[in-house]
Amino acid sequence: MLVKFLKKLAVLIPMVFGISLISFFIIHLAPGDPTALFVDPNIDPKELLRIKANWGLDKPIIIQFFYWLKNIIRGDFGIAYLYNRPVLELILERIPATLLLMGTAFIIILLISIFFGVYSAYKKDSFLDKIVSILSFIGMSLPSFWVGLMLILIFSVELNILPSSGFSNPLLSTSPIYLRIYDIFLHLILPVSTMVIVGFAGLTRYIRSTTIEVLKQNYIRTARAKGLPENIVLFKHALRNSLLPLITIVGMSLPDLFAGAFIIETIFGWPGMGRLGVSAVFSRNYPLIMGIVFISSVLILLGNAFADLLYLIADPRIRIDEND
Amino acid sequence: MMNKTTVVFFLFTVVFLFIVIAFEGCQTKTERLTKENTIIFALSGDISILNPILSSDSASSAVEGFIFSGLTKINENLEIVPDIAKSWEIKNGGKEYIFYLRDDVYWHDGEKLTSYDVKFTFDSILNPKVNSVRRGDYIIDGVPIKFETDGPHIFKVILPKPFAPILSRMGIGILPKHLLFDKDLNTAEFNTKPIGSGPFMFKEWIKSERVVLEKNPKYFDGPPKISGIIYKIIPDENARFVALESGQVDVSDIPPKDFNRAKKLKNCNVFEYDSLVYVYLGFNLKNEIFSDIRVRQALAYATDKTQLLNLIFRGLAKPAFGPMSPVSSMFESDTEKYNFDLKKANAILDEAGWILGSDVIREKNGKKLEFTILVNQGNKEREKAAVILQWQYKKIGAKVNIRLMEWSSLVKKLNSARKDFDSVIIGWSLGIDPDSYSIWHSSQYPYGLNFIGFSDPTVDRLLEEGRTTIDFNQRKRIYSQIQKIIAYQQPYIFLWYPKSLVAVSKKIHGLSKPGPAGLFVNIENVYISKDEQGD
Repeated sequence: MLVKFLKKLAVLIPMVFGISLISFFIIHLAPGDPTALFVDPNIDPKELLRIKANWGLDKPIIIQFFYWLKNIIRGDFGIAYLYNRPVLELILERIPATLLLMGTAFIIILLISIFFGVYSAYKKDSFLDKIVSILSFIGMSLPSFWVGLMLILIFSVELNILPSSGFSNPLLSTSPIYLRIYDIFLHLILPVSTMVIVGFAGLTRYIRSTTIEVLKQNYIRTARAKGLPENIVLFKHALRNSLLPLITIVGMSLPDLFAGAFIIETIFGWPGMGRLGVSAVFSRNYPLIMGIVFISSVLILLGNAFADLLYLIADPRIRIDEND
Repeated sequence: MMNKTTVVFFLFTVVFLFIVIAFEGCQTKTERLTKENTIIFALSGDISILNPILSSDSASSAVEGFIFSGLTKINENLEIVPDIAKSWEIKNGGKEYIFYLRDDVYWHDGEKLTSYDVKFTFDSILNPKVNSVRRGDYIIDGVPIKFETDGPHIFKVILPKPFAPILSRMGIGILPKHLLFDKDLNTAEFNTKPIGSGPFMFKEWIKSERVVLEKNPKYFDGPPKISGIIYKIIPDENARFVALESGQVDVSDIPPKDFNRAKKLKNCNVFEYDSLVYVYLGFNLKNEIFSDIRVRQALAYATDKTQLLNLIFRGLAKPAFGPMSPVSSMFESDTEKYNFDLKKANAILDEAGWILGSDVIREKNGKKLEFTILVNQGNKEREKAAVILQWQYKKIGAKVNIRLMEWSSLVKKLNSARKDFDSVIIGWSLGIDPDSYSIWHSSQYPYGLNFIGFSDPTVDRLLEEGRTTIDFNQRKRIYSQIQKIIAYQQPYIFLWYPKSLVAVSKKIHGLSKPGPAGLFVNIENVYISKDEQGD
């Protein structure tokens, strides 16, 4: 099995190369260039050509790509324009805040949707199931920027109990560590709530429908026929099987944890990856875009490989099939 | 089940703590910043780099303004006044500027600031390897300016020929030579932990969240009265407004739509003042429709600026008629205005041979009076303006199409040699010097900012004269003529001068006169009152 997994990982290398090559060309061929931000009557266009040459943008794209590749192999992601700092440094300094926001939201969404999904599948068409359905549809149809602003309006403006933006209160930077952690926790509440409100619906619906399928299976009937208590049927036999597809979802969400959430970050002034990525695209900050694309694609591929591995472990049927 | 949950919860808490500690890192012990001694500014854009010769965005410049000092600075009346230089002389018919430096200026690390630092800064800008967009400011007709020192307190600027705008370009923040002479300026660590000589010292920068500055007790112009400044980056305009409303920030810009709401806020004073920006509809003059001045004049008459500004800004902007901001000292008000007059517009088009067709669109020699306005996507004001103009021009039989383009692509289109566009709504943000050579001189086409292809020998000559003339009144006459000619020819339809709308917490006092230089020009006079803190 380990060999199989390593083989899978080896296949990833040409894939990463292919993704990098294609995205490099797409990004460089998109109209516009990184000096477009400097359009200002006081800036001489000749200077922009000089700066572009300093950045190596006067060379053919394919040559630029091989330079980039050569550096990547040595672990050098290059220097981002405008910031004039290493791409890796820019990305790494965003990761703590991004993981904190995305991870917290993801875990809460997961817990809520497993609970409500399984429960409403079990009590299908009950009052609570309907309430959960209605709430899911409301959550699904609300735009996150609106929910975010409404939460800010209620909790920051009207009640004035929670901060509306940022990661921490700058005035507390010399306070003891426990106060600062509490402060970060306060800053986390509104953005995470927004993400949970708009994000729990999809997963809940999904778990509900897989659980409904599982509950129809023969082995559930067998378990009940054996006289097993209902909670063991539900949480041992049904839940395990209905959560199998969740592995894929968790695997696929791995890159999201890294990518951040642009809209939430913008509204709440959260210093995450989403803002970095979007502004990199708009300013055609090629090294930065490529750095983010490269890391994301590696994470997506790894996430998928990881999910496959988990399947092998969790689902004996797949193991048997592959041994045939 | 229970066990696993506990483990997950425990792991999560550990990760959380780890992240928090990693993020907060090491702290230095200094005076505690509190709401009573600190001003919190809301910034809309991320700060990219804190080095005045490398940065090109307004957020970075705003922060650098308090950390660094220049030879000169701008006062609230937009005049150039001494900063590090206590005085200067212009010699040799305007070809030599001699700056006499103060003797009491120190870097934030305690070293003394001398003319060698000044020379180092300007030489660095001229260094082609340094990615400074400001380099062109110090090159005149292809010849770089020479910078010399004469002892630690005298700095000389030697120009290849007289060049009036140079004085306005001497205010750029000076860099410390002793910290940078052996470093690659582009990537130096200094750029994220700057050391300047200004009224505030850099303390902390949490990327894309905030920058914290604390007062420089040894500032040469007297230490500031407030202890610190915090810039909080809040990209969303609604969120900025809310932060202001709830007292989380003390100073913020406000969007025109919220202006009336802001005026009702109990904890803030609201200011509106002019900027050095104008927004216009520019025509591609090589296009056969717009090469005829009569079409441009007719469109100018058909533009109802009052209606336009009422619809977009509820009146919070001024109509523009010429290529200079009214706050500029060389502004000429007596220019051709082309006040809204549909009859005149129609008459001019009739006379020019544009005949109304059966589809209510004018045509001439089989060509329809139809063109496209390009607008940068996301700029709501300009997007609205395009729609209103489309509707206004329909009344004189012109068909307007609108195309929204992302900024970078739009700029690419305007800069390309093919000039494949009809017209564009865009704006210029001018410096305090009236020189607008780069916008109007015929040499700046097709590669340059004169992308509309404006070419007028008289204007060319006047622009050249304007930059080489030192005498204020003489220059004023020259720029007055330029404004008159351009306003008459309408290569752009000048649309509006945007206003800066800023709200400032009532606890903050000692602001400067509102104007393009902002409200915090004299930051050392700004103080926070004790009685109005409770907001």
